[in-house]
Amino acid sequence: MADEDPRWRDWLAAAQAGDATAYATLLRAVLPWLRGRARSRWPGAGAADIEDIVQETLLALHQNRHLYDPSRPAAPFLYGILKLRGAEVRRRRQRHAGREAELDDAALAVSTPATQEHATGARQLGEALAALPARDREILELVKMQDLPLAEASARSGLSVPVLKTATFRAIARLRKLMGADHGY
Amino acid sequence: MDTDDLITRLAAANLPPVRPARAPARAIGWWLLASLPALAAMVWLMGPRPDLGPCLADPAFCASEALAAVTALLAAYAALCAGRPDEPGWKLALPFAALALWLAVLGRQCFILSISTHGGALVVRPDMMCLPAIALTGLVPAVALLLLLRRAGRFRRYAVWFNAALAAAAAAEAALRLFHPEGTMMTMLVWQMGSVALLSALGAAAGRLLRPRR
Repeated sequence: MADEDPRWRDWLAAAQAGDATAYATLLRAVLPWLRGRARSRWPGAGAADIEDIVQETLLALHQNRHLYDPSRPAAPFLYGILKLRGAEVRRRRQRHAGREAELDDAALAVSTPATQEHATGARQLGEALAALPARDREILELVKMQDLPLAEASARSGLSVPVLKTATFRAIARLRKLMGADHGY
Repeated sequence: MDTDDLITRLAAANLPPVRPARAPARAIGWWLLASLPALAAMVWLMGPRPDLGPCLADPAFCASEALAAVTALLAAYAALCAGRPDEPGWKLALPFAALALWLAVLGRQCFILSISTHGGALVVRPDMMCLPAIALTGLVPAVALLLLLRRAGRFRRYAVWFNAALAAAAAAEAALRLFHPEGTMMTMLVWQMGSVALLSALGAAAGRLLRPRR
């Protein structure tokens, strides 16, 4: 790739040998390049999405440093990770957005109710949440309010990922029932 | 987390050194080194088929054997490339081209034989030995490839697993035809190629089941 700095491959090879300074220099040097590449590959993505993709790319680079062949240029390696990880992040976001649509309808955002109607909805939601079993509240807090990745929420809750998914679904169903909005399930 | 903080954490002072992974082309050499003696041993243990001499003189038989070997090689190479982010996607399609050609050649042979034998080649007989024989014969190539894929990246996992299974199954199929007479052409297509397809599909399914959860 024409826009590669020739020092990248030296820094990446040094990082493979355990040189933390070269690695930090490399990561800071490629950061603007990765952001630019991500923006041009996914022009419709928001700034937060682009930053997520770039961070996932850096994490994947860290886990896969051993796959870099020092005799080859570094840019295709970095761009390959960006493409593959970015596509995964985008797919995950789309799935997540689909799952969250119903929760948005249930007005889980209790922070700033602007109108009387919103205030009533938020109060209803607060009451419904309070009436939920503690385990359901904990699961909704981790998965939906803190928006943690499933793996992390699973580690914190002590439930496996499939069990956590089922428990989340059931907690939402119970919440909707308590709020009198259980149609459609 | 802020990206600068992430960089600081990743590039911590105790960054462990890593050994660069073998290039796919070199790894293929190791795979052949492990697989070829195992396949030869299997043919020797089971005993070559009685009509092996005439078969080897038949260009159609040799062509399908060569295409099975090429499919196995390209699938193993694609499996080794799929986990590397800097390998282009077209390399992952190479085994499909070989597989399509292999199937086309077998289909053509089946068609010609069905005419010359007045439909005799189209008779399908049960051949229960095929699936276990291919699975057993492909065991060493499969294990060898899995060992070589231990350090593969977590990228394109479906392609890694599907191609690894296809490589082992195609290599096993090439060896199987040296010790197991297939009866009719259609029996060979249905049972032997069906076993290759089934084992490859199981490989892809394993890739899906073992996908890291997020």
